[in-house]
Amino acid sequence: MTRRNFLWQYGGGLGGIALAQMNAATHHAPKAKRVVQFFMSGAASQCDSFDYKPLLQKKAGEKWDPGEKVELFQSNPGVVMPCPWEWRQHGQSGKWISGLFPHVSTCADDIAFVHSLLSKSNVHGPATFLQSTGFILPGFPSAGSWVSYALGSMNENLPVFVVLPDNRGVPPNGPANWSSGFLPAAHQATSIRIGSANPIHDLFAPEGSFVTASSEMDGLALLEKVNREHLALRAEDSRLDARIKSYEMAARLQLSAPEVLRVDGESDATKKLYGLDDPLTEEMGRRCLVARRLLERGVRFVQLWSGADNGFPRRNWDSHEHLAKDHWEMAVAIDKPIAALMKDLKARGLFDDTIVHWTTEFGRMPCSQGSKGRDHNPFGFTNWLAGGGIKGGTSYGATDEWSYKAVDRPCYGYDVHATMLHLLGIDHTRLTYRHNGIDRRLTDVHGNVLREIVA
Amino acid sequence: MVRELLLSTAALFAQGDVNALLRARCAGCHGAAAPGGLNVHDAASVESNAARIVEAVSAGRMPKGGRALGAAELAVVRDGLATKMWWSLRPLQAAEKGSIDGFIRAELARKNLAPSPEADRRTLLRRVSFDLHGLPPTPEEVRAFENDRTPDAYARVVDRLLASPRYGERWARHWLDVVHYGESHGYDKDKPRDNAWPYRDWVINALNSDMPYARFVEQQLAADVLHRDAPRATPALGFLAAGPWDFVGHQELREGTADKMQTRLLDRDDIVAQTMSTFVSMTAHCARCHNHKFDPIPQIDYYRLQAVFAGVDRADRPYDDDAAVYAKRLSLLERKREAQRRLQPLLDKVEFASSPALIEVDDRIRDARSLITHIGEPKTPADAAEKKTLQARVERDTVLRKQLIDALVGEATNAAIAENQAEVKRITGEINALPKPLHVYAGTSLFDRIGNFRPALEPRPVHLLGRGSVSSPGDLVEAGALSCLPSVRFERASDEGARRAALARWIAAKDNVLTWRSIVNRVWHYHFGAGLVDTPSDFGRMGGKPSHPELLDWLAVWFRDDARGSLKQLHRAIVMSAAYRQSSANREDAAKIDADNRLLWRMNRGRLDAESVRDAVLQTSGKLDLTMGGPSVRMFWFKNDHSPIYDYARFDPATPGANRRSIYRFIVRSVADPFMDRLDCPDPSLLAPKRSTTLTAIQALALWNNPFMIRMSTELAERAKTVDAAVELAWQRKPSNTERVFFEHHVSKHGLASLARLLFNTNEFLFVD
Repeated sequence: MTRRNFLWQYGGGLGGIALAQMNAATHHAPKAKRVVQFFMSGAASQCDSFDYKPLLQKKAGEKWDPGEKVELFQSNPGVVMPCPWEWRQHGQSGKWISGLFPHVSTCADDIAFVHSLLSKSNVHGPATFLQSTGFILPGFPSAGSWVSYALGSMNENLPVFVVLPDNRGVPPNGPANWSSGFLPAAHQATSIRIGSANPIHDLFAPEGSFVTASSEMDGLALLEKVNREHLALRAEDSRLDARIKSYEMAARLQLSAPEVLRVDGESDATKKLYGLDDPLTEEMGRRCLVARRLLERGVRFVQLWSGADNGFPRRNWDSHEHLAKDHWEMAVAIDKPIAALMKDLKARGLFDDTIVHWTTEFGRMPCSQGSKGRDHNPFGFTNWLAGGGIKGGTSYGATDEWSYKAVDRPCYGYDVHATMLHLLGIDHTRLTYRHNGIDRRLTDVHGNVLREIVA
Repeated sequence: MVRELLLSTAALFAQGDVNALLRARCAGCHGAAAPGGLNVHDAASVESNAARIVEAVSAGRMPKGGRALGAAELAVVRDGLATKMWWSLRPLQAAEKGSIDGFIRAELARKNLAPSPEADRRTLLRRVSFDLHGLPPTPEEVRAFENDRTPDAYARVVDRLLASPRYGERWARHWLDVVHYGESHGYDKDKPRDNAWPYRDWVINALNSDMPYARFVEQQLAADVLHRDAPRATPALGFLAAGPWDFVGHQELREGTADKMQTRLLDRDDIVAQTMSTFVSMTAHCARCHNHKFDPIPQIDYYRLQAVFAGVDRADRPYDDDAAVYAKRLSLLERKREAQRRLQPLLDKVEFASSPALIEVDDRIRDARSLITHIGEPKTPADAAEKKTLQARVERDTVLRKQLIDALVGEATNAAIAENQAEVKRITGEINALPKPLHVYAGTSLFDRIGNFRPALEPRPVHLLGRGSVSSPGDLVEAGALSCLPSVRFERASDEGARRAALARWIAAKDNVLTWRSIVNRVWHYHFGAGLVDTPSDFGRMGGKPSHPELLDWLAVWFRDDARGSLKQLHRAIVMSAAYRQSSANREDAAKIDADNRLLWRMNRGRLDAESVRDAVLQTSGKLDLTMGGPSVRMFWFKNDHSPIYDYARFDPATPGANRRSIYRFIVRSVADPFMDRLDCPDPSLLAPKRSTTLTAIQALALWNNPFMIRMSTELAERAKTVDAAVELAWQRKPSNTERVFFEHHVSKHGLASLARLLFNTNEFLFVD
């Protein structure tokens, strides 16, 4: 086993990896060091947010005829449904963005929009997997785990890959979306449930147990002593030493994790910027603020979810019934915090080497489902990226006049993942892990770097 | 000089002339047209068909219509092709006489290495107990073994361990890893499978009763066909349903859509990948989009395997204890299926009836229903009023819909439907009159439609798909197995069960070299922590090569013939070997030559896996509940919501069964148990032929702080009462004097529970020398 493999296998996850060692893992000079990803669970509509199609307003209520048979997830195609929000142009780039995202609109010149995404599935579960792991099947490592595997830690005292789920619950597929799959468990995400009594599993012994501060300290010291005695006769076995070290790292995490989650010390201006003063934005605002604190301390990959499962009452973006109501409720909670995070990263000089990625599993149809909803659209949807190495104020690819099908430079999540890895200094075709006879990649056998959006 | 020349000519003939010989005798038919995929002018084609050629000419089936090959010619073909074949496809070549230690020592001697001395008694007992039971020995067992100086003391320990039901519980867990067994569907709306557990119990019982391996294979693929008289074998079919299942894709997507076809394609893919990885250690699933890039598996082989499973889905399958009732049930279910074959096309006429007016009504109904769901419990009077209006609309439209459909399909169809439905109802009545059946979540076609999830009344047609895409269907494909090995006859009949039975026979056949190599290597892997081939589910070119090829073949043949597929005999042979019993202590000189210990100059040290950690903690603290079998214990808080919620943090440890062995945990796919997850328990959606061992800070925190560990620390303290007793329970040895001083001091300050917690976290507890 090479030293690097050894470190990945036994020392990864929480520090323990020499920084220089890990920087050597890149294939070319990186433009970014870390990623923050927003995942709109349930399928956020492209034609009501960032993919402007005046035809939808013009032909509102008319029979929708794209000139071919359309196979939808739940319904038959309804009439052309206009976007419920007004469109305006923003920034130097003059990007058309709907009134659904008034705050993100102010960052338009920093953003590269990818309008021509396709999905390989019209079903939430597989499609969510595709965007998070590059496969439509369960069991594959998420992008965050791949980045951890590729680049390791920048801070010995914090996890490499952190997930901040929506406090309403977990998305379709559950935590399997941030699984490390067949990658060593060192690359597992640490899921932090902000606002709950125990945000990180087992960070501390349960309350009311026999454990006291001094038994903790004496216990860990004696444990190390005992383990060192045991090691003395087995000195060649570096795993035994790695276990001893893992308790040292654990102790450091116990100190650093509560500190990073504590936002009281932030200025009032910052809290206001993130919307902590408004019950509508408070939840996501807090998560975005914690995300910034994690990122600035060297966490590689932070994934924030907007939306839980597809149940009722609606608690995610799956607006089959009443898009104007449900999309609005989802968007208003996240729009300001997301924009705040971008601005805050900028103010702190972190924006230039942090990739900001906004994604969802597929889009929604330009026609109505029933009277007020929209059905799934895997044929064309929007992602956007900003920050480290991204050319702001650009748009890549396009859907047809209806925002129905990607027609100009259609692409997949593979291409976005390839681009993300590229910016991190990784050639996506060379980041592999052999499992059950196949050299697996985040991008499967696909993926092209979207050069046009790279600065 | 002359002799040397003769020898080299003979060698040349044997090596080089196999091609000449094949061209001379076979090219008449097997030329460019390549019947059966063989073109003897093409070296790659000869290579990938090597095993089949050897088999066909040895059996005299080839050359067809020509003179059979003579002994000398046969030898040329056998020897010539053996070197061309990838190791795993070569005929098994077993030395007449052999022993595990003989082969191991021969390889060691070749590198001037000597084996290590036998481990001390405590270490050996701890090793073999964790290995065969997944549990530590008790201090009493250690003392008894240390004091037993009879020559067969160890052999009797091994026999005792193999005879205990704890053995089946331990080794079933390995099997469940390999087949990616889980008890929820995975994906979105991850529903629990309440009847998956009978398969788990079947595996445990099969191992405990030492079922011959061939039978073990056959029952999992086709118990319903090959063992119709043994209803208790039915749960074996849980094998076919072990993996994940896309609930939304199967149950909600409409019949005939591309997404539906893709859902089914991927479902079959999972079964094919699992079956071939598990039993023959081949990655057949790599040939879904194109011919296998590394192994002789053409794309058509993959679709032939898909066709084997084209008639089964994953659903609850009824069975009975009583053979007579079961026979009756099967015949009734088959009669019901006959009736459904007549009924379904008629129902489809209704389901797919269409007219502009009908579409409009359907859209209105769907819209109203979805808005009703969306409103849920009305919060305002306006909502309540709207809901009422919508409900009235649905009622009106439903009546209208019925009228429209009747007009479209006509009286005759309705009458035929009524007639067949009456027949189905009558049979269903008879079935319901039988004693209440048991259920297992298994591969089956004998279930009633739920939503858009309908059984295959005939095996579904399987096409070769260009680039693996449902939008590029090619020729229809018939069921079959891998063409690189001798085949068996697959029935052309529409009977899907016969297809599975044929595949089961192909795998379990004496001459399937992959099957026997695969299982002995798998078992070896778990005993030593590394297989003779270090990729237990991949014997292809991307996998490893055997460290001891002669040993592997000898063991495979011995297991198949002498031991007649008895896994217990295989375990006994392995754990009785000196190689297994040797010390794991390091030796600098040997480490310089073979640092990875591939040659086994010492035993490998290993960390306990997740289940063994949990079970050992329970046993040590005296809380292990050894209740066997039955429904799994839900070690989480559960709410059967639209998307079910599984919350481990809210688990009540007072739940009955909370302290049972880990094999009885209810295994959820979408939400892993965080404690087990951190100890490298594999994702149950992944085929896991081996486990990784990581040592992370998050893992240290789980072992140090998890409520279970804290609870069990208190239990151990209560049980042990003294430092010495606690140490002996945890480590199976007394503390040294120095250790005692430190431990007593710690206990005097912080109590015995704090020491118990520490003991559970020591490397001595968690590693096996």
